[in-house]
Amino acid sequence: MKSNALTGLREGAMRLDSSRSLLIRLLMLAVLVLVPPMVIGSYRALDNFKRGLGPEMDLKAAAIARDLVAQLERAVGFGIPVDKLVGVDEFFAQVLSANPEIRYLGITDAKGDILFLRGALSEQLNDAYRGRSGRALDDSGLKANIADFVDLALPVHVRDVPVAQVHVGFDQDYVAAQLFGIFYDIAVVLVVSLIIAFEVLLFVVVFNVSGPMKLVAEVVAHARRGDFTRVPGITSADEVGHFVRIFNSAMRQVDGAYRGLMAYIDEVRSGHFDREVAGQVSEIADRVRFLFRFHPSGAPLVLREKLSSDVRLPLFLFIFAEELSRAFMPLYAQALPSPAGWLLTPELLIALPIAVFMAGIAVGSLWAGAVTERLGSRKVFQFGLAPAVLGCVMSGLAHGVIELSLWRGIAGLGYALVTVACQSYISKTTVDSNRATGLGSYVGAVLTAAICGTVAGGVLAERIGFGPTFFVSTALILVSGWLLSHLLAVVDHGAPVAAPVPSGRPLLRIFANWRFTVLVLFAAIPAKMALTGYFFFLVPLTLWNSDHSLAELARIMVLYPLVMLAVSSQSTRLADQMGWRIGQVALGGLIGGAGILSMLAFDGTLPLVIGIVCLGVSHGMSASPQLAAIPDICWIECNRHGRTQVLALLRTLERVGSVIGPLLAAAFLLHWGVKGAVIGLGAVVLAMAAIFAMVAGAYGSGPHLETEEDVP
Amino acid sequence: MSWSLARKVSAALIAILVCTMMVTALFGFFKFQDVMSELVRSRYSFVAFTIKQKVEDSLNLGFALRQLRQVQETIELEKARDEQVQGIEIFDAKGEILFNSDRGRIGASVPENWLLPLSAASLQPFAVLDEDSNVVGLPLVNNLGKVEGAVVLLYPTGYVERELGPMLWRLAGEIAGLVGVFSLLTVMVASVALGAVRQRLHVMEHALLLASGGEAPLADTAAVDEFDGHFGEFVAKTREAVEHIKASTDEVERLDRLA
Repeated sequence: MKSNALTGLREGAMRLDSSRSLLIRLLMLAVLVLVPPMVIGSYRALDNFKRGLGPEMDLKAAAIARDLVAQLERAVGFGIPVDKLVGVDEFFAQVLSANPEIRYLGITDAKGDILFLRGALSEQLNDAYRGRSGRALDDSGLKANIADFVDLALPVHVRDVPVAQVHVGFDQDYVAAQLFGIFYDIAVVLVVSLIIAFEVLLFVVVFNVSGPMKLVAEVVAHARRGDFTRVPGITSADEVGHFVRIFNSAMRQVDGAYRGLMAYIDEVRSGHFDREVAGQVSEIADRVRFLFRFHPSGAPLVLREKLSSDVRLPLFLFIFAEELSRAFMPLYAQALPSPAGWLLTPELLIALPIAVFMAGIAVGSLWAGAVTERLGSRKVFQFGLAPAVLGCVMSGLAHGVIELSLWRGIAGLGYALVTVACQSYISKTTVDSNRATGLGSYVGAVLTAAICGTVAGGVLAERIGFGPTFFVSTALILVSGWLLSHLLAVVDHGAPVAAPVPSGRPLLRIFANWRFTVLVLFAAIPAKMALTGYFFFLVPLTLWNSDHSLAELARIMVLYPLVMLAVSSQSTRLADQMGWRIGQVALGGLIGGAGILSMLAFDGTLPLVIGIVCLGVSHGMSASPQLAAIPDICWIECNRHGRTQVLALLRTLERVGSVIGPLLAAAFLLHWGVKGAVIGLGAVVLAMAAIFAMVAGAYGSGPHLETEEDVP
Repeated sequence: MSWSLARKVSAALIAILVCTMMVTALFGFFKFQDVMSELVRSRYSFVAFTIKQKVEDSLNLGFALRQLRQVQETIELEKARDEQVQGIEIFDAKGEILFNSDRGRIGASVPENWLLPLSAASLQPFAVLDEDSNVVGLPLVNNLGKVEGAVVLLYPTGYVERELGPMLWRLAGEIAGLVGVFSLLTVMVASVALGAVRQRLHVMEHALLLASGGEAPLADTAAVDEFDGHFGEFVAKTREAVEHIKASTDEVERLDRLA
């Protein structure tokens, strides 16, 4: 039995201090649990809906057939033979165009020969009609399945003698085709559910299993060398919590035995009359202390670890909530009453909520970092929730565009505070060796939330409307806030540090570094202009004007985060391997601008799809290399002010582009229309990217130290 | 109630499953309702259209709308054909009801909002909502292009729910059953999927309990990963510490007794 105690560990190859293997198992479980009921449920629903709609289709066909019969009987009653009627084809064409669910209309004579038919080929129906000739029809007619059609035949009588039959047909699959649109929505719901399941399971696994077990592994790593100074501070009531309690009781047993021994030794040393014995027990104490280490405070130190993944799920929910309105914001602004004037043109007013939201983020980002340093992530997150919730709920209740813009600005402020608080938390819970993983977790949460939010927002808004979608967002933000407050309360947060507020003036000297200035003006700002002006503003308007539904619009727009997610991981690796960061930024800019300009070459939805995909490639290629290039470009400034400050400045400056983008696009829209605005903005972005590409060759490689000579 | 890992995972997945199925069912219902309502509306629009044609044929012969006595029979016949039709009425451009399937309403006025579509530049079919009724209507235009009035057909709101309620409830029951079955499956499979975790923790607990009693085996060098290796060493070190401290305590005791 005892010999099997540890060898039993080998039986399951699953690592407990790593989330990967357990997560894979649970994801398989999620697929098993979510996909089959959705498929079965959808199939059953379609079957029931088809049966439910069938009688209504019959009633519609009967109504049309009755009218045709009445008109025919009137004409034939005047003495016109059925086969000599004129204008029947044109009349059928009118009826068919007004009733799209009807596939064909026809008239046969008493023998079943087709006299008039529109909407189907005679060969498809001839045999069936002739086959049932001679069968007497009552006034309710005869319904039959012929080829792919459902045919309803009604008799035409003249003085109670049947002279002809009117046929009304519809596709057997018409109902299924009508309902098919819902399958895109169901697919969207399923994909979003699977992504949410992934995020939730990742959270459950990390928070309950791999996180605590990592802490246990840390304690074990010390204790196996005789260091019994710490114990893991896990208090959960699950199996891991039970294990940790036994683990800690083993640790405390050793600690207790040690403390008992030391107390005994102290007693003997101080109380024993024989100094030689006192010396011998001191030697024993020294030997035990040499072999094993125990915490000097009198009890083992309780370890509580903060993990960067603690904030992933709340952050995911928060971004998901904010992204719900991504696909329809300009359409919502367009639908609201607006006090248009000579300055506030309707186009500008549509762009205003996006621009103000971005301005809110820019303003919030300016001081969110410093506030987080002072108050701590949890407080800033909670503080940021207030404007985020207020902005979101009031956006849903807004009565005008100006009001909506105001609330979007407040929501932007909250967005900045919350995201900066999360970034700061991740930064503080990681060290250099795992910081990339932590920030990768942040970027992963943001991008997956963007995918889910964009696509789900479109579907949701189409079903429940713009305003209620904001209320769904509000509920998600509240859940996110509750989760984060709870999670960050669990971990020991430590005293907030009063960080020195950096003075702005010396940092502004960074503009003397031409590489930084050119990067900001011709790479970072145009990238954001393209994002907000083209993707956030012009794309929804253009797609909406092309008669796409909200759900379709969202499904097209989701290409951007999808492509970006796919490209960014590869481009980061490429940038690290080849060190070609500035080149990637330049190439990315050119691809983005050229993609937008595809509107020059194509019509319809295709150029927008090309533009969105190219923008995803562009930003996927250039976003990370842009940030990664900063330490080399601004080597002096990073050393002087800190890399974080320089990066924060870059992020703030690029938001100028976020604000300008929709306003510039609106100005173009006013003068040149939607297509002209897309081309105009694309030209601006491409021109700026071309300038950057031309200058990129002069950047060189490695840290740039020459600016040091310019600095007094 | 203690929340085991399997319960936590099951609860999370069941919550997601319930939300997913609810959202899907709602979307499905809304879509079905849209298609069904559109079909019903188009059928009744067609019925109204046939009446409109008959009335306009007479108008084109030079009769005044008020004089078309045979229209009353036509609308009564159409009403009798479909028990779902609540009423059919024809009113003039001022809103006075000239013909109505309910003869008692003749002479009354239609609501103001029914007249708005008649003043629109494009004389399209219109649909309005009136308390408990859906209204579809078509303007009546003479051959000079003058709007003489309109024909409207009223049918009940909630038609879809009333006609197809039992079917929808049956479907809701099926979906609830599916959720129930897959929830049960979730609990069982989660328990199996997390069995390996439970087993490993149990083995480690057992090793720790043995170590506390001084019985644990020495470190197993053939452990599968770093954690296992470290844990084996930890158990051995714990046992060594317990034994060493015990031996030291015995020795101190022995020295203490030396008097």
